[in-house]
Amino acid sequence: MSADGKIGLDILSRQVAYSGEGISVKSLEAEIHQERTVQDNKVGELKELRERNVEIAGAMTEELKKLRKFSDYLDGTATKDGFWAGFKEIMSFIPGLRSLSISQRSIEELLKQQYQVSARRVKEAAEYVDHLKQSEQDLYKEIDRINVKIVEMAKNEQVALDYVLELRELETELKAQEQALTAGSVEARDIQAQIDKVFARLSEHSSNVQLYGSAEERYVSLKANTRKLLETIRNLGQDIQQYTTAASIKLDMASAQIQAIGRAADASVVMLEMKRSLDVMTESMNVTTQFVSDTQVFFRSNLDTLMEELDTFDETTTKVLDENLAKSREIEEQRIQAAIDKAMRKSEGGGAAAPEATPGA
Amino acid sequence: MSLVAFNTQELAPVDAQRYLQILERSLRSARLNNSFPDRRRLSGTVNALQRAFEHEIYDQLYLDSRVGLPNMASFTRVVTDQEMAADSLSRMSDRAELERRRDEAPVFARMADKHDYYSWLADQELAPVDLHRVLLRRHDPSSGSASFRIELTKLDGSGLYMHLTIELTQVASAWRRKVVDLDQDGESAAANEAFRTLIYRCAALDAESLFIRLHGIEGVTVERVARGVIGPLLFRLPTASGFATTLEPEGHLGRLWQHWLAGDGASASGPEVLATFASDVAAGDIREEKSNDPLGPLLSSVIEDKERRRYEAMRERYPFKVFKDRKFVATRGLKGLVKVLGDAAGTRNLVYDLRLPRGG
Repeated sequence: MSADGKIGLDILSRQVAYSGEGISVKSLEAEIHQERTVQDNKVGELKELRERNVEIAGAMTEELKKLRKFSDYLDGTATKDGFWAGFKEIMSFIPGLRSLSISQRSIEELLKQQYQVSARRVKEAAEYVDHLKQSEQDLYKEIDRINVKIVEMAKNEQVALDYVLELRELETELKAQEQALTAGSVEARDIQAQIDKVFARLSEHSSNVQLYGSAEERYVSLKANTRKLLETIRNLGQDIQQYTTAASIKLDMASAQIQAIGRAADASVVMLEMKRSLDVMTESMNVTTQFVSDTQVFFRSNLDTLMEELDTFDETTTKVLDENLAKSREIEEQRIQAAIDKAMRKSEGGGAAAPEATPGA
Repeated sequence: MSLVAFNTQELAPVDAQRYLQILERSLRSARLNNSFPDRRRLSGTVNALQRAFEHEIYDQLYLDSRVGLPNMASFTRVVTDQEMAADSLSRMSDRAELERRRDEAPVFARMADKHDYYSWLADQELAPVDLHRVLLRRHDPSSGSASFRIELTKLDGSGLYMHLTIELTQVASAWRRKVVDLDQDGESAAANEAFRTLIYRCAALDAESLFIRLHGIEGVTVERVARGVIGPLLFRLPTASGFATTLEPEGHLGRLWQHWLAGDGASASGPEVLATFASDVAAGDIREEKSNDPLGPLLSSVIEDKERRRYEAMRERYPFKVFKDRKFVATRGLKGLVKVLGDAAGTRNLVYDLRLPRGG
């Protein structure tokens, strides 16, 4: 009530300033869906990465098999008949060399080819790093966007709450005033009309309290999932960088040695040195394979869990939004029913209609 | 600059870019003919490495410390980059988008640079680490003879980059194993594995030795063996911390270089470079047997007495002569060293002037 004792009806005509576009269950659902699409894309990238990882892992396992077999034979441990007897079999593991004998193949050339294959595999794995770092940055940006939304929703919820409280106070005042008037008098009818208006505004803005509150919660959950996704991507990127840097340094450092050993082996087979040379490549491939294998585990333990959590988020969000939608419909239906009831009573009685049932009251 | 592994030295990015610029100019100045490795493709690799450093793709350049040329790791880097370029580009964001976000985080600047590098690299011709080719020159089905040219480009275990051309005629017969197989339509050919391997293994031999080795194969008449070898490239480059140089040069040239470095070279203020390009031909149509290579005497002049008779008998059986030559590309400060080398060996060698851009 104002200082002069009059009731402040200007509250009813006040434009409530919510920031952003107006909210509805549909628009909230659309916005959250939009944010989720970003997450889905990133999860899609991770899935693609997982598939490529499987491809590389397969290729590397084959390469490693060749190298290990080759190395074992050079070691003289894998064949009872010694190195030469087993060499033909070793060569059959190198592409295009099936059924060739040692005298028909240059060890130098063979080692150089294997070096190039190893270098390529390591580089293929290393190519992930920048892509993951870009995704990480995209997700930081996404978290910023979600934070803006959370703050906006929280502010709007507060605005709605404040307004609802003002309306409730006005309603109480109006009802008290109504009590003091003669029932059915013009003044009483006028007050009742104001009370109805207050109720309509209460209905609208209490619904906003619910929507903005629910939106804030949803965005907070969305942020938590995005952060989890971001951490997954960041850890994966760091691991890959570590593994591939180690593997490519090994290869860079060994290139001259590999070439020299191949050359020496062509002149006369220097088995021990050649084995060392192969071991360097095997080690490098091993490091990368270890990474690929660890990454597989990482993917299995993180990506799938993450996707499950995101799905759960979707389910919960949909459920909450559906509930909100159902409640809104229910209120709307009551309101429509009340209007129909009043219309029916009026047509049956032919006179003034009794006061309609207040929806939600 | 330091030795970082067996026969391997590294150059930091700034020095690497200057070195690559010098290498490219040396290659151009040498006016290489087709007996050498394809100059365009080698320049392609040098340019690719330059681009890679401009775009900060690599942190160091690896050289063979004996010959001062990029080593196998460096050759392989750009080749594998090219193999992966198309696939990597397809996974990257749009170039304009990367540019727009350049200042947002270092990764976008790096990816924009990588995008430029891969886009440029995709259709470049690069030098292979190894490349075999067999070309059919003539085919006469009536006599069963066919002439071939076999080419091998190889980054040799010595660190030198070489090209070997062998022209030979093969007479086929049912009982004789052919070294080169023609396909059914008689249009394309491929060396059999054993022959291919023989050539690969013997690529480091001089043309004369290789001629004799191949000519001994049943059913094969060798007409010409030619080798073109790029390197060594000896350099002394001023750097922020002093100077960078080829760290482990070998042989007579290596000793002369070390001597020069300790003497006149010690006071050199600008970059000094000496690159050598050796050619070596053994063929029936050479008029006079001669070596104009101060670092590669003829086999006949160095063969031990106990082997001389056997060697002469072999030469009488095979009608060919040998010509060896070596040209140089040198900065002004090193022309004197080439003269000392030539005077001592009695050779007169072409020395191309290497002019470097200011600051290069």
